[in-house]
Order: sequence, then structure tokens, then C-alpha cells
Amino acid sequence: MRQGLDLHGLSKSFKGSPVPALEEFSLSLAPGSCTAVLGPSGSGKSTLLRTVAGLEIPDRGSVLLDGQNLAAVRPERRGMAMVFQRPLLFPHLNVLDNVAFAATIRGVPRRRARTDAETFLDLVQMEGTGKRAVSDLSGGQQQRVAIARGLAARPEVLLLDEPFSALDPELRSAMHELLAQVREKLNPTILMVTHDRDEAAAVADHLALISEGKLLQHSTVQEMYTRPASLQVSRLLGGTNEIPGTVREGVHYSALGAHALPGNHQWPEGPATMVIRQEHVILLDEHSPGLLAVVTRIRTRGPRKLVTMEAAGVNLHAEATASPALATGDAIRIQLPTPALAVVGGTSEHRSAPLTSPDGKVLA
Amino acid sequence: MAITLPPGLNQQTLPKDAAQNGLTRSRAGGRILRSATAAALAVWFVLPLLPLGLWIFADRWSYPAPLPQDWGLQNVDSALSRGAAIAFAGSLGLGFVVSAVATPLGVLAARSLAFHPSRWSAPVSGLLFAPLALPAFVAVFGLNVLLVRLQVPSYAGVVLVLTVYALPYTTYVMRLAYAAHDIGFEEEACTLGATRGQVFLRVQLPLIAPALARAAFLAFLVGWSDYLVTLLIGGGSLVTVPLLVASAASGTGNDGIVAVLSVMALAPPLGLLLLLGLTGRRRRGSRS
Repeated sequence: MRQGLDLHGLSKSFKGSPVPALEEFSLSLAPGSCTAVLGPSGSGKSTLLRTVAGLEIPDRGSVLLDGQNLAAVRPERRGMAMVFQRPLLFPHLNVLDNVAFAATIRGVPRRRARTDAETFLDLVQMEGTGKRAVSDLSGGQQQRVAIARGLAARPEVLLLDEPFSALDPELRSAMHELLAQVREKLNPTILMVTHDRDEAAAVADHLALISEGKLLQHSTVQEMYTRPASLQVSRLLGGTNEIPGTVREGVHYSALGAHALPGNHQWPEGPATMVIRQEHVILLDEHSPGLLAVVTRIRTRGPRKLVTMEAAGVNLHAEATASPALATGDAIRIQLPTPALAVVGGTSEHRSAPLTSPDGKVLA
Repeated sequence: MAITLPPGLNQQTLPKDAAQNGLTRSRAGGRILRSATAAALAVWFVLPLLPLGLWIFADRWSYPAPLPQDWGLQNVDSALSRGAAIAFAGSLGLGFVVSAVATPLGVLAARSLAFHPSRWSAPVSGLLFAPLALPAFVAVFGLNVLLVRLQVPSYAGVVLVLTVYALPYTTYVMRLAYAAHDIGFEEEACTLGATRGQVFLRVQLPLIAPALARAAFLAFLVGWSDYLVTLLIGGGSLVTVPLLVASAASGTGNDGIVAVLSVMALAPPLGLLLLLGLTGRRRRGSRS
């Protein structure tokens, strides 16, 4: 019976590195789930995946698949397949033999292995390309063949190490769709690492946020965004609004006034920072009900605008579409909808704006 | 069970002439110069072989005749009667044995230097390449005494010393190959279920095969063309083509026999080189 993948207290340090790549990292993946491990560069994501695959030996901790400890199991016997950032298709084999690789090394007769491989090439819509050399394929096609090759090994767990990061946005969207359909048809357990939170949200049903080798939070995508466990989580997910104050009986009191918190959660009493994602802040004209704010800066991001405002001495950020027409210095009203509010313990210390790229990648 | 992707994405392929761009496109002047240089080099290499070819079949060729006066196979018969066939077999055997020993050793050394760097890497590299800097004459004189005292059989001694002289070449060639070798291929194969042996045979070996062939060829050349080590360490018990060529060339009136032996000395390396080139071309062709 499938019990999924369990990681218990994984720790790994590399010689010459002052900080451990993984530190007491624990995570449980349900069978058939897709979990994206999200974190900035150098946070230990790839080390985690390599440790699960057996390519790195952890200093401490264990990897359990369906309850079996894999400590003494070599990578080739773990029932996992890994797709790397680069397709790594074997250049001396054609497309079909690449996909048939796992079957042929298991001793399946070549003809049967190739027939089987054709099925997986069909799956990733690469039918008819079997006899072509891998060097003839474009980057996107190669990555699809790499996924087909991984799936053809019939792994219980598919490990994806930033497999789409080198592809252009259009192709990346197509690959996300492909992965969704693969999940629908084959239902493998997928553990994927990425530094792109949009990709993580698009592909996975669970997120695991990692920083400096430590697990910060593991939850559903929705919960991660709406109920961050800490300010660090909020920031790593691109959250920019932090309002220091105090929670008393489910209400957050701050310079912005009293804000009732969502009732479906037990909020800690005492000093706490209220967070709300910038895309949830509602911007209204000056005559509407809401908090009065003054626009201090507007940055255009394609069809969206990132609006910075000051309300009662607090800097707030909102993501707005083209309307309403705003300009720096405008007085507006804002509303912070209760379901979008969350608080994290402690007060917000001085922070610098998170380094994010325009496409939403976490840089630091 | 095909999955639907947005139209157009499936038709993306790399253009055949992707490697051709403004910088690399051949121009008329360059093409002519390249062809002329290639032709000049071909003449440079082939020209010295012409007199050799004529001498082989010249039963009589006296100065100042531009071509042999009598044609025949007397020189071939004379070379064979002097033990050319045995020397050929001896050289071939020595070349292959040295290649068979030095190539795997070079692979191991190169892989270790490439993938397991340590503070000992630099001294080990220096040691491996030292034979290139050490004149063979000096080394062989010292080693000769040592090998005799250790009662190492002469053939084994020759192979041992020549292997040491071939190691820098095999290590260097394989070191370059491993520098360009992506260990990710092996890791990928491993996660797909390949055992260590399968990874070596089905992934590593095919990927390094061209470099392996080059390394083996160079090691073969070291064994095939050696004169000094075979003479001094072999002590006359091992007759090879270079020894026979030197012996014939030191006498007078042996031009025809020297020509036969020289062509014999040239044939295997040339054949292997052609084989290497053709195999490489076929591999490149099969990938495109």
C-alpha cells in the first residue's frame, strides 16, 4: 500500500561551507501529491532533491518511501526518477532509446521497450520523433523527452529539479499544462524544486518553503499565501505589507485602526504583525468608504501597477490593474478585506524590500 | 493517451544550419585559401612516400635514372628474409599491449584527477607527466640496471617502461575528455535504475569513446614506434620494426629494404588513424 514519501530530520553539510545545506528538514508527501519546494538560490533545494534521490548521503536523518527506510538503498533501487534543469538526454542514443533506457537496463527486450517508450512519447506529444537524434530537438522538446524518459521508468516518486527554468515563458506554461495532465493520467508523487513562486503555485498542490536548509512552512498553496507562518515566509512569497500592532480577542489593533481577523483561525494574543498580500488590497476613490491613503509611488508591471501608499504613517503596497487611473500624490481610500488578513507573532523589525525579479522569482 | 499542448510548440526544431552565423560562415577568399593550404599539406605529407613506394618495387635503381630500371619484389623478399614479419608482429603486439595497459590506467588517473580533486592532485599530475620532461636515454639507463637486478623479464620490462611513457598521453587526452564530461548523465542514468556497471557500459563508455580511441591510439604509437627502450631494456630479445629499420638503414645498399620496412612501420598507425577518423565522422553524422 502506498504511504507516500517521508523525510525525517535530514541534515547535510558540505566541506568548506560555513552553513549546512540542510538542517533537520522534515516533510511528508501524500501519495499522488505534487509538492513544490520553493526557496531562494542556495537555500538547499537541490541538495534536498539529490538526498531524496540517493545522490547525496545525508549526515543525519532518513528518507522513507512507503514506510521503508531508504538509507541503505542505492539510487537505482529507490523507485524514483529525476528530471534535472538540463534535459541530460544521452547524446549517443536517439529519442526513442532515451525514453526506453530504463526498460532496456531492466532487461526488457529492446522491441518491447521501444513500443513502451513510444507510448510515453505520445503522452508528451512527441510522437513520430523517436528516430531523431536528441541534438535535433529544441530545448522544450528535449525537456519533454526527459519527462517522458523519467515517467517511462514508472517511478513511484518523480523528482523535478527546476526542470522548466531554462524555458521561455510560453513553453513553460505549456510544460505546466503537460505536468498537470501527466498527473491526471499517471498520478505519480511529485517533488519539485523551483525558485519561481508563480511556477510553484501553478504546478503544485502543496508548497514547502525552504531557507538556509530549514523548512519554514509546508502547507497547501492557498494556505501558504493567506496564512504565512512567519514574516520570513510572507516575504519569501513576495508579501510586502507588514503592519505592526497587537492582537486582542481576534482583532488586530494598529496605526491603521482595528481590523477583525478571519474567524476560522486561532490567532495568538499580544504583539503581532498583520500581513495582507498586495493583490488583496482594494483601492477605491477618495469618496468611497475605507482608510485614507496617499499614493507615494507607482510602478508599472505590464498590465499591473504596483502602488505604494502611506496611510496613517504606515507604508502599504497594492497591486492594481489599469483602473482606477492613479498618480503620485493622489488621495485614495483603501480596504483590507478580512478574509485576506493574517497575523504572525512578534512585531515587524526593520526590513528592506525583498529582492524579486519582475517575473516573480525570489532572488533573496 | 496523448496530451494536448498549445499549437506550434510541437513543431519547434533547431535549424540544420544553426551553427552557421555571420562569424562562422565561409567566404570565397577563405575557402580558396583553406583549400590551397589543405592541398599543400597533402602534398607535403604524400611527397616523401613517393620514393618509398618506388623503392619497394625497384629491383634496380641506379643514379641518375629518374625511375627504377628493373621492377620486382626482390626488396620485399629480402625484408621478409631478414625477419620483417616477426618484427611486424612484435611491434604490433608491443603497441597493443602498451595501449591495453596505459589506456585504462590513463582513464583511472584522469577520472580521479577530474572528479576527486585533492591537495595531492597537482603533485600526482606532475608525477604522471614527468616522463615527458625526462629524456628517455637517461631514464632507461637507470631503469635497465634496476630491472635486471629485480629479475624482471625483458618483455615485461619493456612494456612497463613504455607504459610509463604512454601514460602522460593517455592521461592528458582522457583528462580533457573528463573535463568536458557531464557527470549529470551518469547521475541521470543512475536515477533511472542503472547499476554502476550499466552506467559505465551504457553511458560513460559511449560518451568517452572518441577520447578513449584517441588515447589508445597514442599509447599504441608509443609502443609501436619505440626504439631506445626496446633496444636497451629488451636487450635484443625483442625484435621490432624500428630496430630492423635502424639496422637496415645503418648498412649501405639497403635502400629498397629500408623502404619496405618503412612502409611496414607506417601502415598500422596510418590505418588506425583512418579508422579513427572514419568512425568519428560516422558518429558525428549519426547524431545530426
